[in-house]
Amino acid sequence: MANPVLEVRNVVKRYGKFAALAGVDFAVEPGELFGLLGPNGAGKTTLMTILAGLKNADEGSVLLFGEPFRSSDRARRHFIGLATQDLSVYPDLTARENLSFFGRLYGMRGADLKSRANELLVAVGLEDRADTRVSTFSGGMKRRLNLAAAVIHRPKVLFLDEPTTGVDPQSRNHIFDKIRALNGDGMTVMYTSHYMEEVQALCPRIAILDAGKILACDTIANLIGRFPAVARFKLSTVPEGLAESVSRLPGVLSAKATSLGLDVTAQNLAPILPGVVAACAEHASTPLAIDLDQPTLEKIFLNLTGRGLRD
Amino acid sequence: MAVLILAAKDLRLLLRDPRSAVILFAMPLAMILVLSLSIGGAFGRKPDDRIRLSVVVEDEGLPKEHGDFPPANWSDVVLDDLSDTADIRVERIATRAEAERMVQRGDRAAVVIFRPEFSDRAHRCSFVGPEFKKDPINPLYRDGVRADALGVDVLSNPNQPVGSSVIQQVVQVSLLRVIIPWMIGQAFDNIGSPKFMDKMEERIPVLKSAYIFISKEKLGKAIKDGIENFFANYNFTAKTWAGLTKNRNPEHKEENRTDYKEQSSIGLNRGSVRYQMLVPSYTVTFAFFLTLVVGWLFVAERRHNTLVRLHAAPISRTQLLLGKFLPCFAVSLFQGFVLLLCGKLVFGMSWGQEPWLLIPVVVGTSLAAVGLAMVVAVLAKTETQVSVFGTLVVLLLAGVSGSMMPREMMPEEMRVISRVTPHTWALDAYSTLLHPDSIAVDVGEVLIASAVLAGFGLGFSFIAWVVIQLQD
Repeated sequence: MANPVLEVRNVVKRYGKFAALAGVDFAVEPGELFGLLGPNGAGKTTLMTILAGLKNADEGSVLLFGEPFRSSDRARRHFIGLATQDLSVYPDLTARENLSFFGRLYGMRGADLKSRANELLVAVGLEDRADTRVSTFSGGMKRRLNLAAAVIHRPKVLFLDEPTTGVDPQSRNHIFDKIRALNGDGMTVMYTSHYMEEVQALCPRIAILDAGKILACDTIANLIGRFPAVARFKLSTVPEGLAESVSRLPGVLSAKATSLGLDVTAQNLAPILPGVVAACAEHASTPLAIDLDQPTLEKIFLNLTGRGLRD
Repeated sequence: MAVLILAAKDLRLLLRDPRSAVILFAMPLAMILVLSLSIGGAFGRKPDDRIRLSVVVEDEGLPKEHGDFPPANWSDVVLDDLSDTADIRVERIATRAEAERMVQRGDRAAVVIFRPEFSDRAHRCSFVGPEFKKDPINPLYRDGVRADALGVDVLSNPNQPVGSSVIQQVVQVSLLRVIIPWMIGQAFDNIGSPKFMDKMEERIPVLKSAYIFISKEKLGKAIKDGIENFFANYNFTAKTWAGLTKNRNPEHKEENRTDYKEQSSIGLNRGSVRYQMLVPSYTVTFAFFLTLVVGWLFVAERRHNTLVRLHAAPISRTQLLLGKFLPCFAVSLFQGFVLLLCGKLVFGMSWGQEPWLLIPVVVGTSLAAVGLAMVVAVLAKTETQVSVFGTLVVLLLAGVSGSMMPREMMPEEMRVISRVTPHTWALDAYSTLLHPDSIAVDVGEVLIASAVLAGFGLGFSFIAWVVIQLQD
C-alpha cells in the first residue's frame, strides 16, 4: 500500500480555552477523493486551514507526502490547491487575469501558463467570458472560476471547502464533473461539506468531524453497514408471542410489537423478510404493509452528531 | 519576482478603482481651487520683516558723453544701493499710473518714481562750479538731497504718514550714499589739474615763483597726493560710497529686487502667490489620504477572501507586504508629481530656484505616506475601520502639522510639537523650495527633511511588517 499523501496525527487547535480541534487523526491515500463531513462549528474550516498551511496546529502534526508540513514550509505549498468556502477571486480582474495572476504566484510563466489558463477556462465553461470582469459573473460562474484558480498550478492535493455553496444544480453538477475529472487524473481531493448527498455522491471514503473530534472515518459502505435497517410491518392483528418468535429468526437483531404491528431490526433486511412473513402467518396475522427504513449517510451523521441545533 | 507579480496586480486594481482617482487627484485639486477662490491673494505670504520699497523707473538714461562712470543708469545705481542694503526689498512697478492707483487705494504707503531726466540730473550733480562741470546741479540742502531737483518724485498716501516718512528717509539715505561720493570724486579729480592750478594762481600769485623749483604739473600732483595722504582713511576719487569709505562693495542681492504682479483675489489668478502654499500643502495632505486607498486594498483582499489564497501560496508575508508597498509607492509618487505639475500648468505656480530638489521631497513624502498607510491597512479589518481610522489619522496629522493653514500662524510650541509628524518635514522642505519669499534655497535643509521623511516611511513600514508577522 502506498504511503498516505496526507496524515493528520492528533492535531489540536485552541482559540483561548476553546478547543476547535481536540485531537484529530486520519490519513488520505494517494488519488483518493476523501470527504470531510461535519455540522457547523465542527472544526472543518480550522482543520482545512491547518492542512493548507495557513495556520499551525498547537499540538500534533500534519504530514504531507510523509514529511511534516507547517505554515513556514512555503516550497511545498506548490503541492496544494485550495478552494475556500468563500469565493477567493478578484472581482475587478477578468477571469483570465485571475488565473494568470494565481498561476504566476506559483511560478508558472509564458506559454505553459497561457495554455493552462485556456484549458481551465474551457473546462469550467468560462471560455466565452474569459476577458470579462468577475464582478459581472453569476454565483455559479464565480464558483467554477474559484475551482479553476485553485488548480491552475496543477497541485497534487486539492482542498475543497464547501465548493458548491450558493450555486444552482447545473453549476453544481458541472463542478462535480470537474472534481471527478481532476481526481481521475490522479489528483488527491479532500472535499469538505455538510451536504450529505454531495459527499455521498462524490466520496467513497469520509470522516465525520464534530466538536473537534473525528467521530467516524471509513468508506460510506462500511459506515452504512455498521448501522441496522428497520422493517416496520403493519399487521391485521398483533398476536402475543409474535415478536418473540420473530426475534429468534436468523439474521434478526430485534423484534418489537407496536400498536400497529411489528418493528424488525436486522443488518440486512432482504434475507429475513420471508421468515417474518411466515411467522406472521403462523400467528394468524396478515401483513398489510411493510415500511423499510434503510440507513443513509444523513441518518448516520445525525445519529453520530445528534439532532441539536448548531450555530 | 512574487513581489512584482503582486505589485502589478495591485497596480491594475488601483487603476481600476475610481475612488483612488477621486481621492488622490480630484479632491486635492478641487480643494486647492476652492480655497484659492475663498481666501484671496494674501494667503501664503510670510510676514515680511523687510521694508518694501516700491519704485517706478521712467529714467531715460545717461547723457551721451558720460564717461566711464557710472556703469549703468543712475536709477539702477540707486536701486542696487537699496536692494543691497539689508532688510530692504525693492519692488518695481511698471507704470506711474499703476503706482498712483496703488497709493490711492492704500495698497502702498508711498512709491518712489525716478523721472525720465533722473540719470541726466544725477550726472550733473557737482560741488564745483561751471568752470569745472557743465551745467552743474547742487542737489543738497539742509535736510539732505532735494529729490525733486534730481528728478525723483515720491507719491505718498496721506493716510499712511508713518510708512510714507520711512520710505522717504530710506530714499534720502540712499541718494546721499550715491550722490555724495560721485560729487566728491568729481571734485577731487580736479584737484591738482591745470585748471585747478590756474585758479590757485589767481588766489595765490606767489605760487608762480615755486615753478622755478618744481613744475606746475608736479606741484598739482603733490597737492593732490598731500590731501589724499592727509585723509588716508578715504579714497576721494572712488565715486562710490564703498570706495570712498574704503570698504568692500556689499554683496549683490538680486533676490531683493522683484517686479510687482497684480494679485487679484477673485478668479483662478494663475501664478498667484497663494498657490506656492496651497499646492504643496494639499499635495502633502492628500499624499497621506493614500492611507484610505491602501487600507481598502488590504480590506478588499480580506473581503474577497483572496488574502487566504495569497497566504496559501508559496510567498512570505514580507513579500506580500512589499507587493502592496510598491504599487502604492508608485501611485503616491505619481500623485505627488502630477499635483506639482498641475500646480504649474493649471495654477501657474513656480517650482522655485531648485526644481530638482522637489524630487527627494516627493519621494520622501511618498515613503512616509505609504508607510503610514501600511500600518493602518494591516490593523484595520473592515472598510469602515479604514475610513474612520484612516480619515482620523490623516486629518489629525494634517491639523497638528499645519497643512491646513500657514505654519507661520501656529504658536512656536505647536510648531516644535508638529515636527513629530512627517507632514511638517515635508511642508518645511516645500516652503524652503517654493515659498515666494524664500531668499535662497538651503539644499542641506531640504535633503535632511527628505531623509527624515524616508525615515518615517521605513519606521512605519517596519511597524506594519511586525504587525503582519504577528497576525495569525
